[in-house]
Amino acid sequence: MSENTKKNVIIDLEESEKILLDGVSKLEKIDVSGKLSVINVSERSRIWNVKVHLGDTRDSTDITDELLSGGEIDVSGTWESAYGVETEAPIVTLTEVFDTCGDVETEEAHWAYVSSKDNPVKITITIKNETDGEIDSIILNKTIPPELSNIQIISSKSGTAEFDEGTKQIVWKDFVIYPQEETNIVIGATGQVHDAEVKNAGEIVLTYKGEDQQRSVLNPDLTALTEFLMGIETAETEPNQWECTLECSNESDMIVRLDKAEVYLAPEGGGEKQKMIDAAPSIELSPDQEWSASFDVSSKETPKCTQEILYTPVRIITKRVLGTIEKTSQVVPVYKIEYTKEFDPPSVNSFDKTPVEVTIEVTNAGTAKLNEVTIEDNLPDDVMPPTSEHITVWIRGEEFTGTYDFAIDPEDQDPEKAHKISFKIENLKDTIGELEPGETVKINYAVMAWRNRPEKEYPSPIKCTANIHPAGIPAEVASPEDGHKLGVIYKKRAISTKKAINKGAGAGEYIIVLVVSNKGEVTAENIEMTDWIPSGFEYITTDPEDDQPEVVGVSDGTNMIWKWARMNPGDKKKMRVTVQGEGEYERREPEVTSI
Amino acid sequence: MLNITYFGHTSFALETKGTTILLNPGIWDGNPVVPDDFEARMVIATNHADDAIGNAATISVNSKAWFLGSKDAADKASEQGVKPWLLHVLETEVPYEVPDVTITPYSLSRIDEEAGGHIENLGLIIEMGGMRIGYLGDSSIRGLFEQLEMDILIVPIGGEATFEVKDAVSLCIDTKPRIGIPMRWTSEDQPKKFSKYIEQFGQGTKPVLMEPNQVLVVQWAAGNEFRYELN
Repeated sequence: MSENTKKNVIIDLEESEKILLDGVSKLEKIDVSGKLSVINVSERSRIWNVKVHLGDTRDSTDITDELLSGGEIDVSGTWESAYGVETEAPIVTLTEVFDTCGDVETEEAHWAYVSSKDNPVKITITIKNETDGEIDSIILNKTIPPELSNIQIISSKSGTAEFDEGTKQIVWKDFVIYPQEETNIVIGATGQVHDAEVKNAGEIVLTYKGEDQQRSVLNPDLTALTEFLMGIETAETEPNQWECTLECSNESDMIVRLDKAEVYLAPEGGGEKQKMIDAAPSIELSPDQEWSASFDVSSKETPKCTQEILYTPVRIITKRVLGTIEKTSQVVPVYKIEYTKEFDPPSVNSFDKTPVEVTIEVTNAGTAKLNEVTIEDNLPDDVMPPTSEHITVWIRGEEFTGTYDFAIDPEDQDPEKAHKISFKIENLKDTIGELEPGETVKINYAVMAWRNRPEKEYPSPIKCTANIHPAGIPAEVASPEDGHKLGVIYKKRAISTKKAINKGAGAGEYIIVLVVSNKGEVTAENIEMTDWIPSGFEYITTDPEDDQPEVVGVSDGTNMIWKWARMNPGDKKKMRVTVQGEGEYERREPEVTSI
Repeated sequence: MLNITYFGHTSFALETKGTTILLNPGIWDGNPVVPDDFEARMVIATNHADDAIGNAATISVNSKAWFLGSKDAADKASEQGVKPWLLHVLETEVPYEVPDVTITPYSLSRIDEEAGGHIENLGLIIEMGGMRIGYLGDSSIRGLFEQLEMDILIVPIGGEATFEVKDAVSLCIDTKPRIGIPMRWTSEDQPKKFSKYIEQFGQGTKPVLMEPNQVLVVQWAAGNEFRYELN
């Protein structure tokens, strides 16, 4: 900076923009104010009659007058005037992408934490210079919320960035952004939440400076007076010949521009004044520098001259924009689910076939909307699974007839195998709307408990998941591996057999009366009764005819085998078997088995 | 072709070729389910409880129909005025035959809700209209029915004195009739559950839920294709 520059009066335009962004980096408010300052840099000269000329350049401001009067400004003094500026956008734009699941690439960022899991958070902050000048003095402070740990700066295109453990802030600074360019910083962290309360992602405060930039279009000029010496010297060079000299001298320590120098001569005999010097030199006079102009005139008397001089201290304009962007903390909800699973009836009688209603309800127990819900239910063996057409689904308490996936693996109804039931409903946002906190998805289907054994356990574990849009890490809730046991009520089995051997009407004929009855508390199935006919006797017939046995020869006679699929408690069967032969009819007790 | 009319509770009329059999015209909630002037050729009560025998004697007398039933039911019908020559006691597993109809009773039982224990209830296999119909009346046990083949099984589902839904479903699974018809329900959800479970676990059996006064028409189309229509 030269010596002359130092001695120019300064008009300084310092404009400040204060921006408030909402949680998703959308502009919420912008306030721009300015301060016009006239600074008398002189060390010994006052300036006065200070006038700031704004003309038409004040359009975007709230300044009403074209001319601002600054009065007198002392040595090293300053005169200031504040104003407001209308504008719609800042010179710097700030965007933050707070992705709660940075490991999963999606078009849109993930916006909610999954409860009770590690959330691989990725924060990308971008700053763009929207102007044709440089932006410097940039300092960005990002508050790191308490849910985040393992903070690391993954990359920063510019400057230096550090995480301060004490203040829990990322400080990014020491860089400039060139015109129309942008830079960014990427921060990695692990987010952990164990409740469902809405969290904050942490606010950002960005400060910057745009030197030689302004938000208004003000282009002020200045006129003022200062210490400036001027006068007319009249000297007779010959008799009645005069040389008149206008002399100007800058007595201040500032640069002064001489804009106009006019000298008028009053004629000896009277009459209209004559302009003898008419100059617009626009010369800038350094301190103590002089300027003169002269003319000759014939006059018997000393010429009478008057002058008109316009000068002003030379001004320079300095300007800058100081900016502050405050970004409100993004709201980060939490997705979490709970479930209930019920059997109706909760327990079944052993060795019976009982339809059991299975009802599973998944509740959005978080604060984020859910876009998909899955249920994986495991049915043990000795249970016949449902068919896919017979599932009923309710959403928000109302029966849902839209699209969902339901699968049974293996795809059969074999009660001797375990089965996995899979239910999935997705893309709720494009169908009936996402599942709001507190809302539920409920499914119901029936299974058939199939001859369950009392000594055996029938766990039916379940796992439910849910996700937001876009999908990140799913929220999960699951039962223990041996959870949700279908109860089996032990019902005593008691199959009794009675046998009578009676003489028949014919020779060698015997009537064997067999009574088998279920005196237990439970239905018996696959009952098999075997009665023996000694050798020497042969099977003739059975009454009733519907209960004909299978007759099988054995080494010491013949076996009669009856099979019944099922006997309910209280059921009784009575058979009269006619046999014929010779000799004593040896008695053996019938054998009966069942499950 | 066989027409099956449901009156409610356990009351059905089976009709083919002009022969009508009325089953268990009981009294339910103090009211007869079938009108006294119903015209039938046979009236059958599977047990002597009021909700089975109901106004069977009156209908039998009015329409000069044979009364068939268990010993206890026949005795009660006699007390109520049915002439001896119209009475016939059904013997267990002894077929009763008239032209176009064969009825085979099987010994079952129902729970006696008042005195406790069991009372006899007959299950019937009725062959008419080319169909074998299993009718369990008010049974709480299945007896021999699990071994019998039938095209249609009419089964109670209301619990208390008789089968619960699960028992009815279980019997349908084991006997595999072509259609299963529930009766004697005590709440609206019981027939719905019966239908739901049969559809899922019936392995070929179709549930047919009849409302009172509906008529089910069943037939062998072209001689071998089982068809039914609920009107």
